[in-house]
Amino acid sequence: MAKVEALPYDDRTVYSVAAFNGGVGQWLSRLPTVWVEGEVTELRRHERWATVFFTLKDPADGSSVGVTMARGRFDALRLDLSDGERVHVFGRPELYEQRAEFKLRALTIERFGAGAHLASLERLKATLAAEGLFADERKRPLPFLPRRIGVVTGNDAAAKRDVVTTIRSRFPPASVLVAETYVQGPRAAAEIVAAIGALCEHPDVDVVVLTRGGGSFEDLLPFSDERVVRAVAECPVPVVSAVGHEQDTPLCDLAADVRASTPTAAGKLVVPELTELYGRLDRAHAGLARGVRRSLEHDRQRLARSADRLHAWPRAAVDREQHRLERTRDRLRLAPVLAVERKRAALENTGAKLVALSPLQTLERGYAIVRTESGDVAASAGDISVGERVDVTLAHGGIAARVEEVTE
Amino acid sequence: MTESAERTFEQAQGELEQIVEQLERGQAPLDESLKLWERGEELYAFCRAKLDAAEGRVEELARRAEQSRPPDGKPA
Repeated sequence: MAKVEALPYDDRTVYSVAAFNGGVGQWLSRLPTVWVEGEVTELRRHERWATVFFTLKDPADGSSVGVTMARGRFDALRLDLSDGERVHVFGRPELYEQRAEFKLRALTIERFGAGAHLASLERLKATLAAEGLFADERKRPLPFLPRRIGVVTGNDAAAKRDVVTTIRSRFPPASVLVAETYVQGPRAAAEIVAAIGALCEHPDVDVVVLTRGGGSFEDLLPFSDERVVRAVAECPVPVVSAVGHEQDTPLCDLAADVRASTPTAAGKLVVPELTELYGRLDRAHAGLARGVRRSLEHDRQRLARSADRLHAWPRAAVDREQHRLERTRDRLRLAPVLAVERKRAALENTGAKLVALSPLQTLERGYAIVRTESGDVAASAGDISVGERVDVTLAHGGIAARVEEVTE
Repeated sequence: MTESAERTFEQAQGELEQIVEQLERGQAPLDESLKLWERGEELYAFCRAKLDAAEGRVEELARRAEQSRPPDGKPA
């Protein structure tokens, strides 16, 4: 390594540009080799060039670094890299001294493997979850009848057909706006974000369906891309995510307002079934007419009962008054008869008492009344003298007698 | 019944039912009862007319709703 020589001046140390660049280059080359992760962009490889160039970009904030690699070494890896692919580059910093351009000199490149993807996804998931992007309270209810439905999907996808067919069969007047994008590969994430944004530009799009059929883990990766997940979470209208199969859970599923297991299920979620709506409306309508008729019938019966009783009243009232009058007349007529009867009964009662009290009744039982000559009733033997004549009254007739003996 | 314009069906029906009960108790003097009865008949006629009118309107509306519907139950 060439020694950095300073130009000779009296009172200062001065370097030529080449010497300066060379010095910095030497210093940089002492740094250790490291692994660097990023996305491959602007890959340039020519048969005539000894070196392959590309830019390694940080997907999070767009920071980038130029990478160089010997073409022979690059070709030997047989990576067949394309723009947008995520890689791990093992290398060290290096200065292209001619122009003081800082580069990463690659010694080897590894395609981002499933394991690395998984670890990276878990990290992203934890970060976004901590931000609250997947929180239940962020979930919005889907509109009952969306004016327009935005669908983000691949251009030839069965998923697109399933969603659109389901929507149309359930709700024929539905208005569907399809935004076709790449749904896999390195360009997919940015396109999906753009498609969601474009759909939301339409003011009558009330819900967005993001859908893709099943695919490999790598195929579904764009749907876990941070840009896509954030676009879903920040979408101004509710998003239904139907990506992959039941067992796949791309991060956009977690950020969406509703997750559907299949594109068909997503179609069912965003529109009601028109025939069922009509059925409900018809039932409500029929119920309405039935209800008002029943209410009228109820009032009519109640009125009829009142009317029956009201109409029966005059006859009943007259009958009642007549009856009362007749009873009074009868009592009027009976009154004198009853009075005489009462008096007669009283008289008979008195007569009976009179008879019971008469002395004759006593005589009937064998008693006799004795009167002296003076006509007085003799009550004791002393009132009468021997030889005196007395009158004896019997129950029937009487006798005259002379007293022979008196017993005191 | 001059006040019939403002009277509701429910008010008339309520008064009618009261009158019927009063008449059936038979405690009011005859003259007064007769007056009550006449009043009851008026109220009955009023309620009857109101019910007939309401029913007529219901049937009219139902018929119109039926006519405005396309035969297959789907919108045009």
